[in-house]
Amino acid sequence: MTVWAVLQVMTLVLIVIGSVLAVWLKDLLAAVLALGGASLLLSLEFYLLQAPDVAIAEAGIGAALTTAIFILAIRKTRRKEEE
Amino acid sequence: MKRWFVLAAFLVVAGFLVLLGTGMRPFGAPKAFEMDQYFIDYTQAEVAANNVVTAVVFDYRGYDTLGEATVLFCAVVGVALILRKVRR
Amino acid sequence: MSVVVRTIARILLPIVFAFGGYVIMHGHLTPGGGFQGGAVVASALALVLVAFGEASLKKYKDLLSALESLGGVAFVVLGLIGIPFTFFANVLAGVGGLFGQSVPPGPNPGYLNTAGTLPLMNWAVGLKVIAGLGSVVVLFGLFGGEDDR
Repeated sequence: MTVWAVLQVMTLVLIVIGSVLAVWLKDLLAAVLALGGASLLLSLEFYLLQAPDVAIAEAGIGAALTTAIFILAIRKTRRKEEE
Repeated sequence: MKRWFVLAAFLVVAGFLVLLGTGMRPFGAPKAFEMDQYFIDYTQAEVAANNVVTAVVFDYRGYDTLGEATVLFCAVVGVALILRKVRR
Repeated sequence: MSVVVRTIARILLPIVFAFGGYVIMHGHLTPGGGFQGGAVVASALALVLVAFGEASLKKYKDLLSALESLGGVAFVVLGLIGIPFTFFANVLAGVGGLFGQSVPPGPNPGYLNTAGTLPLMNWAVGLKVIAGLGSVVVLFGLFGGEDDR
């Protein structure tokens, strides 16, 4: 039981770190990859909370498709964020 | 000035989230469980399906799935409208 | 893309397509369903787009939009089948015939021929999600190119 609790706390801390990196990074490609990693960890958290349906949907939509669309959009525009 | 305003807004939102988090019920013990128990008891007899989640999504709550499909259609139409070839 | 990406994509694509089809087909038995399986297959389409270039999916754009409309129409028609009782009534469940086998109470034995209209609705929503998200990705990939779309 405590193993699951420790795993969940680690996953949540990594999700927060990935989200903060996605806001903080100036390189947009790295920010998108951080967002994809946070989304994949969120899918792992859904699986740990015994919701495999939502986990599959989150892994497909959030981690794969959103990252692909963002990367396609970055390829058409600029890569660096400007102030 | 703007920095202090952002900090105050962050503290207010974080305080509300922590306040809500302290009042959460324990995992696996929802407040209202009668509807869940009905689904668990009667899905296999009424829908003849073993997957209760799919039975809820496509049978008991079919209207919601129809709305979800409409939302997806609207998103695709919006993307196709914005990214279409502009004719001059 | 480079030859490494293309080779890995050639190895990985059949597995991803098969897994998406499995998730859609067994939506009434295992976790998953039309939306989740459609998302998996659409991410495989995004992998095709990234690995092999935009031109590889350009000729399938009309097919994708046609499949999107077909999935939506099939979903509404399957809902309208049960209109003598109520909208979205499951008239095929438990009466024999197509997907009409009834299930025993208790644990899941995994009978594929059950659940009435649920597998058909899974396939309708799966087609709709595959075609919708796939056409979104293809439109994003084709935008801004020098050739017309």
